Amino acid sequence: MKTSKIKIKVNGEWHELTVPNKKTLLDVIREDLHLTGTKKMCDTGECGGCTVIMDGMVVNSCIVLAVDANGKEITTIENLSQIGKLHPIQEEFITRGAIQCGFCTPGMILSAKALLDQNPNPTELEVKAAISGNFCRCTGYVRIVNAILSAAERLRSVNDEGI
Amino acid sequence: MENFEYFEPKILKEAVRLLVKYKRGARLLAGGTDLMIEMKGGYVKPKYMINLKKIKGLDKISFGKKEGLSIGALVTWSTLLSSKPIHQYYPILRETASLIGCPQIRNIGTIGGNICHASPSADSAPALMIYEAQCVVAGPGRERIIPIEEIFAGVQKISLKQGEILTGFHIPTPETESKGCYLKFSPRKAMDLPIVGVGVLVRTSNGTFQDVRIALGAVAPTPIRAKKAERFLSGKTIDDDTIRKAAEEAANESKPITDMRASREYRLGLVKELTYRAIKQSIA
Repeated sequence: MKTSKIKIKVNGEWHELTVPNKKTLLDVIREDLHLTGTKKMCDTGECGGCTVIMDGMVVNSCIVLAVDANGKEITTIENLSQIGKLHPIQEEFITRGAIQCGFCTPGMILSAKALLDQNPNPTELEVKAAISGNFCRCTGYVRIVNAILSAAERLRSVNDEGI
Repeated sequence: MENFEYFEPKILKEAVRLLVKYKRGARLLAGGTDLMIEMKGGYVKPKYMINLKKIKGLDKISFGKKEGLSIGALVTWSTLLSSKPIHQYYPILRETASLIGCPQIRNIGTIGGNICHASPSADSAPALMIYEAQCVVAGPGRERIIPIEEIFAGVQKISLKQGEILTGFHIPTPETESKGCYLKFSPRKAMDLPIVGVGVLVRTSNGTFQDVRIALGAVAPTPIRAKKAERFLSGKTIDDDTIRKAAEEAANESKPITDMRASREYRLGLVKELTYRAIKQSIA
């Protein structure tokens, strides 16, 4: 048998699918679930464009087999904005000019989210390490790093105010 | 990529049985950070994929000062980085882990996978070699122990027999006074292979070198220990000239090639300089 039945929880919803064993998590996300925010760029685990958060950790979904993701919880970029309201990380990326072509952006934002979930007060060096697997051909990274640092500050002040 | 049959054995015996049954048509899946790329490139076309990650116990780290460290083959680099005993007793392994790939790769890539892929430039090899790790191998027969230096058979060739699976490593506790480092020379600070990698572990006493271990990556068909350089330093007084001579000896023991990343001459120069720096850093 070269197909398998899998159950994956994507953005809070369980999906039951039958997939060819060779199909990657990226292709399931984009083709079966029609969530195209996650980008297919190098498709060889080098650029981070396909970054998703799987069981709390960032992974390159293009080198994760869908069958290997069975039973796991996946967060894609679509889950960051809630009820039409953008996440502070997304807002800071926009206002600080951290987006040009936008292709690296979903992956960058998820790497930033994974970082800030673990470390709400990162240094600039820690931010750079967190996005070291996300390739950007446009921006030169400076505005991206600044956007993540300001998002961190915003999120800290929100938490401090107990909102 | 060609399709395959997929298995998730729950016990090691079952994985071995599948491997023996399907022979060269089967591949083992750990993190997949090397295998998936090879498959996408068409270099490897397994008909049977055996995912090891459902087998309990292959991803554990345990440590005792007497026993040393036990680290499962499926331990990911991220897990390794968060391990307190490794931080305290095997800092060079920790240093190595922080230089591999990027967060996405470290979250799924494994130490066993890195060794079994057997690239001459495997980042984990120098650290494991200077800590004199033993590889634990399960298979159709009895479990056997292979010293890390003997696990590499050639470029991307591992010394495992048909049906054998690397299950983990045993690393003795280093002497308290020994210090060392891993220097990785690569154009980028992340997501890069070493052009040359040098691992050094040094113990000194009263201004002389007592025990020196030097391991070199990416400068021979397999990672190697620079044993002549090590013997040269043993018992000698610590001074700059001596260290430079040892570094030159290490370069003589290496057999780098010219490839798309660097020329042979550049690599020889790097071995000389990095060995010198690594030793100096270790005795500072």
